[in-house]
Amino acid sequence: MIDSSREMQRGNRLRALIPYLFVLPAFLIFALFVLLPILDTVRLSFFDWTGFSAPNFAGLANYIELWTDRLFITGLGNNLRFILFYTVFPIGLALVLTAVMTRRRIRGMSLFRAGYFIPYVMPMVVVGVVWRWIYNPAFGPLNQALGAIGLDALARPWLGDFDAALPAVGLIATWVQYGFCMVLFIAGVQKIDESLYDAAQVDGASAMQQLRHITIPGIRTEISVALVTTFIAALRIFDLVFVTTRGGPGDQTMVTSLWLYRNAFQINRVGYAATIAVAQSVLILAISAVLLRFTRTSDQEEVAQ
Amino acid sequence: MFKKQSVVLTLSLVAVIALGMFAAPLAAQGNTTLVVWDNLVRPEESAIMDALIARFEEAHPGVTVARTAKSTDDLKATTALALSSPDGPDVAMVNQGQSDMGALVAAGLLEPLDDYAEQFGWFEHFPAGLASLQRWTPDGMQMGEGDFYGIPIQAELVGVYYRTDLFEQYGLSIPTTLAEFEAAMATLAEAGETPLVFGNLDAWPGIHLYSEIQNAELASREWYDQFMFTTGEVDFDIPENIAAAARLQEWIANGWLLKGFEGIGYDDAWQLFSAGTGAMLLTGSWLSGELLPGPHGADIGFFVLPALEEDGFKLTVGGTGYDFSIRAGSPNVDLAAEYINYLYSEETAQALLDAGFLPVYPVDTSTLEDGLVKDIVLGWNHLNSTDSVGYYMDWVTPTMYDTITASLQELMAGRVTPEEFVDVVNADYVAFLLEKGVR
Amino acid sequence: MTSGAADRPLTLESAATAFIAWLRRLLRRIPIYAFLILFLLIVALPFISISLAAFKTSAELTRGAFTLPAEWRWSNFSDAWTQAHFDWYFRNSAIVAVPVVAVGTLLSIFSGYAFGLMRFPLSRLLFALFLLGIMVPQEAYIIPLYYLLRGIGLVDTYWAMILPQIGMSVCFGSFWMRGFFSSFPADTLDAARVDGCSIWTALWRVLLPNAGAAISTLVVLLFIWTWNDFLIALVVVSSDTLRTLPLGLAFFQGRYASNVPLMAAGAIIVLLPTLIIYVLFQRQFIQGVTSGTLHG
Repeated sequence: MIDSSREMQRGNRLRALIPYLFVLPAFLIFALFVLLPILDTVRLSFFDWTGFSAPNFAGLANYIELWTDRLFITGLGNNLRFILFYTVFPIGLALVLTAVMTRRRIRGMSLFRAGYFIPYVMPMVVVGVVWRWIYNPAFGPLNQALGAIGLDALARPWLGDFDAALPAVGLIATWVQYGFCMVLFIAGVQKIDESLYDAAQVDGASAMQQLRHITIPGIRTEISVALVTTFIAALRIFDLVFVTTRGGPGDQTMVTSLWLYRNAFQINRVGYAATIAVAQSVLILAISAVLLRFTRTSDQEEVAQ
Repeated sequence: MFKKQSVVLTLSLVAVIALGMFAAPLAAQGNTTLVVWDNLVRPEESAIMDALIARFEEAHPGVTVARTAKSTDDLKATTALALSSPDGPDVAMVNQGQSDMGALVAAGLLEPLDDYAEQFGWFEHFPAGLASLQRWTPDGMQMGEGDFYGIPIQAELVGVYYRTDLFEQYGLSIPTTLAEFEAAMATLAEAGETPLVFGNLDAWPGIHLYSEIQNAELASREWYDQFMFTTGEVDFDIPENIAAAARLQEWIANGWLLKGFEGIGYDDAWQLFSAGTGAMLLTGSWLSGELLPGPHGADIGFFVLPALEEDGFKLTVGGTGYDFSIRAGSPNVDLAAEYINYLYSEETAQALLDAGFLPVYPVDTSTLEDGLVKDIVLGWNHLNSTDSVGYYMDWVTPTMYDTITASLQELMAGRVTPEEFVDVVNADYVAFLLEKGVR
Repeated sequence: MTSGAADRPLTLESAATAFIAWLRRLLRRIPIYAFLILFLLIVALPFISISLAAFKTSAELTRGAFTLPAEWRWSNFSDAWTQAHFDWYFRNSAIVAVPVVAVGTLLSIFSGYAFGLMRFPLSRLLFALFLLGIMVPQEAYIIPLYYLLRGIGLVDTYWAMILPQIGMSVCFGSFWMRGFFSSFPADTLDAARVDGCSIWTALWRVLLPNAGAAISTLVVLLFIWTWNDFLIALVVVSSDTLRTLPLGLAFFQGRYASNVPLMAAGAIIVLLPTLIIYVLFQRQFIQGVTSGTLHG
């Protein structure tokens, strides 16, 4: 009896270890090459450091400076504006595309799908080159097209225009980002039980109703992944701005990551750059936690039902 | 069936790990390998470097020069980290200025080169006005004093490329005063031409345009020397700088700059000029090699933007390309110095000139044929003989580049007045003076 | 439901009805096709223009973006491939991307499984740490990462690109696979347990065979991110021989600023493998989606 209960205990203890064994390999590599440098970044945020000289302890000085740093605050405001173009538009667009593409048989579907996904596949350097050309006021097709249909009045030096620059960059973000959401949603639709749609069809539900009552609830997990990920992408946007406007004109498209990059790589203020990173991450963390909590509650509701 | 296929796909990918994981990096080993980083990436420059290195290796048996060319942005992002590494490059190209060479000197990452300069006699052939840009005090705060840390091989100056055929067509000649230059722009604009091709989407070209107007307004070099060497004696908010900002706004209001310049990149702007748009282009001598082979290459000349008054003094934005410096702690310091000496030689200079580039090392220019390259060389010689090589003002403080580019875009869009513009720039400048302790 | 015209005798009337029905179906679909095509044109125009540019001469470029080249210059591609060393860069990118995607996917499946379907102490904390990896931008910790890699002697090796990118991949991967596993129908899983499946066999026999869509999506995304990574490769690798494609492309842009056709050809070389991977893997699961529709 004693033996067997010991064995059982040992078995239970081993059983309790199983989840950790599944997580361990991923966690080890992550901990060493991502988590450790991130923790080091937190440490560095309390230092004055060029990145290659001896660091000087600075206490809270960097954080105090951040509070009144005009470029950080401007950047943060622009990050929030970019949410519209990174999260709202792409998710909406991807939902429409998913609805159109998954519920009926369409000739040449793989061509459409591959075509729609191209923007997300393009390297950022290329995105920058192409869109700077599209927006070019001297020979870009956008202003030429506006001219051709008699809308010269709307033509402007898009990326260099103080009012138009942020929406112009934002539209590129939407163009890049919706493909990501689309892929997530199409993957999610596969799990939906086909009989739900059949029943709906029998009931005479319209395509719109099916989207609202079957597809969207069915891919709620994917939508929440898309929501969190694109939202984070909007708050850490860097390369798109770097290859189009570099924050200009003036500071109209300045974002926190660009300011971080300049501090770290151009003006040798790695300590302060770390402070920006910490502040930015805390903010992202807080808002993601709210978003994740929101989606988790709905998971539980489903279980309760 | 797709399900099984997916699993098979995943598994086959896992199998490929083995291949990927054990593909070890290759490393070439000679007797002595001199690792050099430069930013000479344009095809002609790069070819010259490769040829020179081949000759250097021939003259030094057992030496391999491992060259890595990096674009300017990449070089900026990686040089400091690499120079702090025990296996970093032996020779690297470093930009002048406080946040580049100054910061590297402060961190003790660069080898002082005074002894080599003496040994090889570099200063005997080095334009005197340029020598102070490579000297730094050990704390990296004061330029122009202390040890000597690098030597550049290419010279550059900012001026006006112009279309000789269009100037002839409209009866224009090379302007000798700023007023004549403005009159020429007015004539061209009236004739429906774009007077000045310019694109400021990348923000830095604005510095050159503004600085050139500013240099004309200043009409002496005292203020600028004090300003750049951050002595604490001068401020940015002086009437000349305000006047220059106002003049820039006036040029824009007159429609003398390429329409839509706010949204046009630097490369797009010069390519438009190269393809036939506009009559003039204000930028650096470094583009001569690109413009010459263009469709109007034979009809392009170059002049230095004139002073306010005829034969008056005017600085001209210019100086040198990046410096060749040696990493402190390099095991091959002597060899690295020999390499730099080889690059700073008449042979190299002649090779650069032959390819249409402007060398720092003085060369015989009497045999040059008329044309763009000769215009540029004469312009450079003029600057040296009158001691009027000016500055890139974005070097002056670590944050000046960001401050001046952003505020110039505001100025050009008419969102700030000239007075507000100089105030913003001055605030950046004074903050640095305070940090440095000269205020 | 009636089973169609076959039962009835073929009359003019029935043929007309069938034709009208067919026409109505067609008409109903026209807006959908119009939408799909219009949208494709809008999003693919930049791609089309860059593809055309890749075949042109520099002089032809100024004549308009959508004019056809006078002669299709394949030589731009061979120039990019050989002269600009895209053959090396391509090889390097593959050496980095393949292990990152393979290991990243496998490890993410394991950790996502644990996070999604097992309850254990600290699971929420561990999961939150992984999320940190998604939230903190690379620019923020790339310099500490550089020093770390230098400390263990990995700077300027393939490992310096591979290991950190596996670490980053498992962050999103765990997040994504957890989402898949946690939304897996509970009754199917319970049935498997009743059948005596162990944790391990449940994963391989029940879960993974249904995870085709989730896994191929993950593979595609991880591949894109790794293939297009720029910053890590820029900072941790300095030898020309170790450069990956995006670095090569950026270098190329500085080097041939005036040679847009060559740049465009380089861009296509960078872009094609990812697109092919997407098409390859998408077919895997979208066939599942649409075949399900047809059967239903």
